[in-house]
Amino acid sequence: MAELKVNEAIQQPVSQPVNIKKNTPITEFWRKFKRQKLALGAGVFVVLLFILGIIGPFIAPYGAAEFDYDHILEGPSAQHWAGTDAYGRDIFSRIIIGTRISLFISILSVLLGAVGGTVLGLISGYYGKWIDNLIMRFCDILFAFPGILLAIGIIAILGPGLGNVVIAISIFSVPMFARIVRSSTLAVKSTVYVEATRSIGAKPRRIIWKHIFPGTVSAIIVNFTMRLGTAILTAASLSFLGLGAQPPSPEWGAMLSGGRDYLNTAPHVTFFPGLAIFLTVLAFNLFGDGLRDALDPKIKD
Amino acid sequence: MKKRYLQVIIAAFLLCSLFLIGCSNSNNTSGDSKDSKKNIEPAKTQPLAKKDGKDVTISVADNFISMDPHDTNDTLSYSAQKTMLEGLVGFDKDMKVIPVLAESFTASDDAKEFTFKLRKGIKFHDGTPFNAEAVKANIDRLANPDNNLKRHSLFALVKETEAVDEFTVKVVLSEPFGAMINNFAHPAAMMLSPKALETYGKEVSQHPVGTGPFKFAEWDHSDHLKVVKNEDYWKKGYPKVDSITFKPTPENGARVAMLQTGEADFIYPVPTEQAESLNGKDGIVVENNQSIVVRYLSMNTLKKPYSDPRVRQAINYAINKEAFVKVVMNGFATPLDSVIAPNVQFYSKQEQYKFNIEKAKELLKEAGYADGFNAKLWGSNNTQTGKGMEFIQQQLAQVGIKVEIVPMESGTMADKIWSVEDPNKAEIELYYGGWSPSTGDADWGVRPLLGGKDAFPPKSYNTAYYNNDEVNQAIKDALATADLEKRNAAYEKVQALIWKDAPWAFLSVDDTMAGKKNYLEGIYLLPDGALSTENIEIKQ
Repeated sequence: MAELKVNEAIQQPVSQPVNIKKNTPITEFWRKFKRQKLALGAGVFVVLLFILGIIGPFIAPYGAAEFDYDHILEGPSAQHWAGTDAYGRDIFSRIIIGTRISLFISILSVLLGAVGGTVLGLISGYYGKWIDNLIMRFCDILFAFPGILLAIGIIAILGPGLGNVVIAISIFSVPMFARIVRSSTLAVKSTVYVEATRSIGAKPRRIIWKHIFPGTVSAIIVNFTMRLGTAILTAASLSFLGLGAQPPSPEWGAMLSGGRDYLNTAPHVTFFPGLAIFLTVLAFNLFGDGLRDALDPKIKD
Repeated sequence: MKKRYLQVIIAAFLLCSLFLIGCSNSNNTSGDSKDSKKNIEPAKTQPLAKKDGKDVTISVADNFISMDPHDTNDTLSYSAQKTMLEGLVGFDKDMKVIPVLAESFTASDDAKEFTFKLRKGIKFHDGTPFNAEAVKANIDRLANPDNNLKRHSLFALVKETEAVDEFTVKVVLSEPFGAMINNFAHPAAMMLSPKALETYGKEVSQHPVGTGPFKFAEWDHSDHLKVVKNEDYWKKGYPKVDSITFKPTPENGARVAMLQTGEADFIYPVPTEQAESLNGKDGIVVENNQSIVVRYLSMNTLKKPYSDPRVRQAINYAINKEAFVKVVMNGFATPLDSVIAPNVQFYSKQEQYKFNIEKAKELLKEAGYADGFNAKLWGSNNTQTGKGMEFIQQQLAQVGIKVEIVPMESGTMADKIWSVEDPNKAEIELYYGGWSPSTGDADWGVRPLLGGKDAFPPKSYNTAYYNNDEVNQAIKDALATADLEKRNAAYEKVQALIWKDAPWAFLSVDDTMAGKKNYLEGIYLLPDGALSTENIEIKQ
């Protein structure tokens, strides 16, 4: 007992200054993250997008399918901030309403991909041997196809439609997550505390979920954010090709595709949906960059 | 460092966007005009553009498929064939039948015998003389079902062809067919040299030899098709250019650019969106003329709720045809006011279903669909069709009909529409289609599409599964005679009956859209979309 007390006494002064700064992982992360102004800005933009995704249809000045044949292909004006399309629909309203579709598709598909990939990665990294080989070679096969090509292939089998776009994107997100989670798992597996847990007889399931998985979360979060941008881009590309959202859905890629014929005469029809896609993907990528810098323990101040 | 770079990019991008927005404002087309029908103003003030040499390049939208007129079913291939080949009779600018290689023709009263007097002293490009035997060889080839030619159907009724003397041909049909002269004027009946037919057999599609103003030179399937001047052409003084090169350019933008840079002297079709901005600049003239291509929305009359004529009429009333022309066709079309276009023989104007939502709702209510219903709209997957289908979806939503658009690629369509064996099991509900009756006769504009059971898929194109005995009988009557008066009366009846039954929602008649440099003359598109180049000339 006496010894213990001494120990506490020794620890006390050491932990004192740390306690003042409340150095939990979250504050530590925030301290690092807020220094990156660009990522912070991107983060704010992403949050705004999510809010827009939720309340968009209620604040849009016009309905997504509200046509007006007397005002077709008009440029930006006070009534129509981003102009009107070939049916006289307000492009600005459609972009706002379309935010929900783009975000929903990307989050759902990446989430599915992340869950699948994480499970595969954990299994592969923890058990190793033939199962590791099997999963990683399978991922290599998926990696051999460029993402969009694989997605088109999957759509060709399943048929066009938003639901199938989600499936396609999640399938080609799987190997990415699997590989990243596997490498983190390998690193965490060889740490002393995992060795210790195993030596006191913990079951593999407990080791994986309680001790290894938390160690891979930061990698998953970073990759998740980055993939969101790619997923939005892929979904838009598929819709542009007519394989995703079907008209009159205000999906951004479909809007882009609808304006293709007017590129010379009414460029705003393609420009604004394009801008929306560009800014969103850029924001997710910058945000993801910032997250990585803030979460990666190897990057010191 | 990296971040500053990004900021610069964003700043530059925003600047660009401001510039672009500025541009788009000035380019606005005004949507205020009440008149939905547009006409390109002739741009006369332009000076003639410069042109060296006498070689013309024509840029077209698709690849050519065959140079054998008897085995071709696309209008584009015919456009190229017509520079080299000619038929006994042909069409003028208004789809009226005119003699070409025949001097004159007569039909017997029962529409079973057709006699052609041939022009003398004409030779095929390979030196073979053009005479009754040559004509017989061609018609026999077409009429023989064993040859499996795509255009056999137009000549399936021919019982025998007889060379009466060297320059007289008599064609006898197995049953009366009043529209036969129009079938002869169809480009399918263009004459190939019998010697070439013998030498090349099926391969004549790669080596066309005819009597036309141009001779076949080369055909590089991946790039172009070239024809050169026929020095011994029978019309003295023609042709007036040395060669014509056809370049297939599927991408709209690329085709327009070719005309702007002078790489092409003539392009078609001109994308309707760009017609106005293109016209009158860089020595370019855009010409639009009414075609015989009709756009329609067919409704499966065997299926509920479309089996009720009131529902079909309601759909007709619910669609604003003027807006259709303006929005979907960019103003380059006319609302359709019969089953066939005005330039088709025996057209009779009907009273339009004027856009009237109240009336449409009333009719739906009478039919028991006051709250509307769900519908599926099928069509091909090209941009133009997609736009039309989306427009229909918007219009029908106004009366409570919720339309689901199903774009299909041609393989799926062949499966789901054209090879359905049992009409009662056909899944098709609404179908967005277009039709160009290239014989220019009412028969080919009505019979394949609405001619009762005989026209049901897979035999023909009756996507409405429309079967009205009165109509069928009137079509038969019209074919049983060559008497124009009688045929006219029969087709008037056909059109009035179909109009009232409304198996289609009648949409529009397309315009043909061509763009050319202003030094080019004597070249124009026929109403069926085929190109006429025999009088082509370069003015300098």
